[in-house]
Amino acid sequence: MTEALIVRGLSKTFAKPAVSDIDLTVRAGELYALLGPNGAGKTTTLRMVAGLTQPDKGEVSIFGVDARKDPAAAKALLAWAPDEAMIYDKLTPLEYLEFVAGLWNIDPTTAKARAETLLATLGLTDEARRRCEGFSRGMKQKVALAGALIHEPKLLILDEPLTGLDAAAARLVKDMLQARVDAGGTVILTTHILEVAERMADRIGIIAGGRLLAEGTLEELRGKAGEAVGGASGGGTLEEVFLRLTAEPA
Amino acid sequence: MTVLKPASIPWLLAHELRLAWRGAMSGRKRGAIGTAIAFGVAGVSILTVGVLIGLGARGHEVPIGPLSIAIAGLALAVILTLMLSTTLAGAADALYVRGDLDLLFSSPLSPRKVLFVRALGLAVSALLWFLVPAVLLLTPSIALGHPAWASVFVVLIAAALAATGVGLLLAMALFALIGPRRTRTVAQVMAALIGAAFFLGSQYRNLIGEKASQSLFARIALDAKEGRLQPPPLADLPLRAALGQPLPLLVLVAVGAGIFLLSAWTLGRRFADAAAATQGAETRKAAKGPGRAFAAGAFRATLRKELRLMGRDAALLSQVLLRVLYMLPLALVLARNAAHEPAWMLAGGAAGVAFLAGQVAGSLIWITVSAEDTPDLLALAPTPVSTLNRAKLTAALIPVALLLVVPVAVLAWFQPLAGLWTAVGSGLTAWAAGMIGIWRQKPGKRADFRRRRGSSFLAALGEVVVTMLLGAATALAVAGWLAWAMLPLIVAGALMMALRRTEEQIAAALRAAAVA
Repeated sequence: MTEALIVRGLSKTFAKPAVSDIDLTVRAGELYALLGPNGAGKTTTLRMVAGLTQPDKGEVSIFGVDARKDPAAAKALLAWAPDEAMIYDKLTPLEYLEFVAGLWNIDPTTAKARAETLLATLGLTDEARRRCEGFSRGMKQKVALAGALIHEPKLLILDEPLTGLDAAAARLVKDMLQARVDAGGTVILTTHILEVAERMADRIGIIAGGRLLAEGTLEELRGKAGEAVGGASGGGTLEEVFLRLTAEPA
Repeated sequence: MTVLKPASIPWLLAHELRLAWRGAMSGRKRGAIGTAIAFGVAGVSILTVGVLIGLGARGHEVPIGPLSIAIAGLALAVILTLMLSTTLAGAADALYVRGDLDLLFSSPLSPRKVLFVRALGLAVSALLWFLVPAVLLLTPSIALGHPAWASVFVVLIAAALAATGVGLLLAMALFALIGPRRTRTVAQVMAALIGAAFFLGSQYRNLIGEKASQSLFARIALDAKEGRLQPPPLADLPLRAALGQPLPLLVLVAVGAGIFLLSAWTLGRRFADAAAATQGAETRKAAKGPGRAFAAGAFRATLRKELRLMGRDAALLSQVLLRVLYMLPLALVLARNAAHEPAWMLAGGAAGVAFLAGQVAGSLIWITVSAEDTPDLLALAPTPVSTLNRAKLTAALIPVALLLVVPVAVLAWFQPLAGLWTAVGSGLTAWAAGMIGIWRQKPGKRADFRRRRGSSFLAALGEVVVTMLLGAATALAVAGWLAWAMLPLIVAGALMMALRRTEEQIAAALRAAAVA
């Protein structure tokens, strides 16, 4: 299996260290969940991977492309959808998708067909030619997701993708992500809903205080959590594992 | 705030004023010293004029005659109009820019009280722009023997109350007539038109082509001297009130406060309902018909997106409309002179057209570059920044080109060479202003459009100086002094080189701004 993302020694300091020496490997075709408490450094890490924040040091490789040496080639392979939808209130979803497709230089005919399909899948066909300004947060999130998918990225990075979505929309998005992974795509997501990570993720990374504390399948994490408290590998939900691994030492 | 009784009208008003102050100062933190110096210099200048007036007026009384009545009436009309322009736009914003309105409406406070205070806040905001200079200008005279002139401040308060009342009534009338969706756009355009009304009025000779050489003031003075000026009944009320006569002052205050109370208090409930109705009012009917083909490539897609966003921005449209209105008399003078006068007579007009083209381009490039809604999306894309900037510059220059078509075409019809130099000069000025906007970009919000110059003092100053220099070069070229035109052109070029930033430097400046 090839590596979709390799991160080595990634560090970033703002007023204080936000991310310190993170090493991360995400394999192609897997769904990787990055978990951590608030302020752990998840978003900063992913922003550095997406090329939105300049790292102080470290390397980022996306499908073998050095993201720091050839950012344009790396960006062509990925999409980033943050928790605050990056859309324009005064544009319609179709106009927005036209713009995003243009940025990724997608053939206009192909882009239009994809846009219509995506909007139909996300239940936005009736809203396709209405300006986004009156949309609910969930609808805006869906438009942003369509924008992230219009150029069919090999690596999709989502920061809290389920924020603001109702149960039906959340289910729809989860199904879309799963279908994407089943089709060979790679997805990295952060979420505070541990149940989602537990059910969907192939592997999970746990980050706190800007450091990667543990990484692996749920089973592997259970083992590490057991070692962390000095016991043998035990059972437990991801929530219990997460709390054990991120617990401050007494 | 803590000394005021919570939920009382003064307490709410203090809250409103604090928000208004912070809104006015937002984006100026880095230029706070520059802003303070600018205000300080303006304040000292006005005070100096005030002292000179005070010394000159010592021992003299203002005569109550046709001329002074006409001047006082005209001054009050100008002030009322400018105040109305501010309060109309503010009243429309109060309906739409919800901010804390939902929080206030969900509290136990009555909506009527909330909106009464919001209206009072509007009146205070409109008043301060005139009261502060008036205090500086008149305090020396008041101290030097004219204590009754303090009544001018009361007249200004009455004017602010009346303007706010009318602004609210107009906003509500628009709301009832054209519905919530169009009210904000129309109100902002109307505010711009009202604000420009007196400029256009003062340009009546240019607009109607009258040959008379005297200004409006000189004409009024002449009419008064020759006994042709007969003020209508009650026209002396503003002057008498300003001079401290109790009854006229009482009448003006009663009228101002009456209009304000009538609209703010009695319309309170309706205003609350209207504000609630704007929730979701932005939902428009979906467009019908076959969809347009998608644009090919990043340049075209960005250009199309920017043009769409500009066309849908009410505040921006009203500002551009204002500049079109300012250009109108200039264009008419140019057209008339082009038909009958030699080329050098067109130089001033050509310089004006070039300068205004630069100003419009500077405003539009701020919208397309600095006020980008989703900078992260653009940073994520594999498109080179230079392509995006080219598209944004093109989008900013297209409306400028449309504005220039008529004056340049008229000029070119009568005097082709003057038309050519005006076109070249205006194009160069617009391009220069656009490039400065790209090099010195600083992230902002569309809503802060009117305060954009406060965010980067150096860029604003550079833009004004370069556009003035290029306007001067245009004038000299139109006058036929091409060699002399090179001088301002070279200085402008040198300034542009000093302001220039590479893509890496722009990126570094943006990163620094984001961290700050």
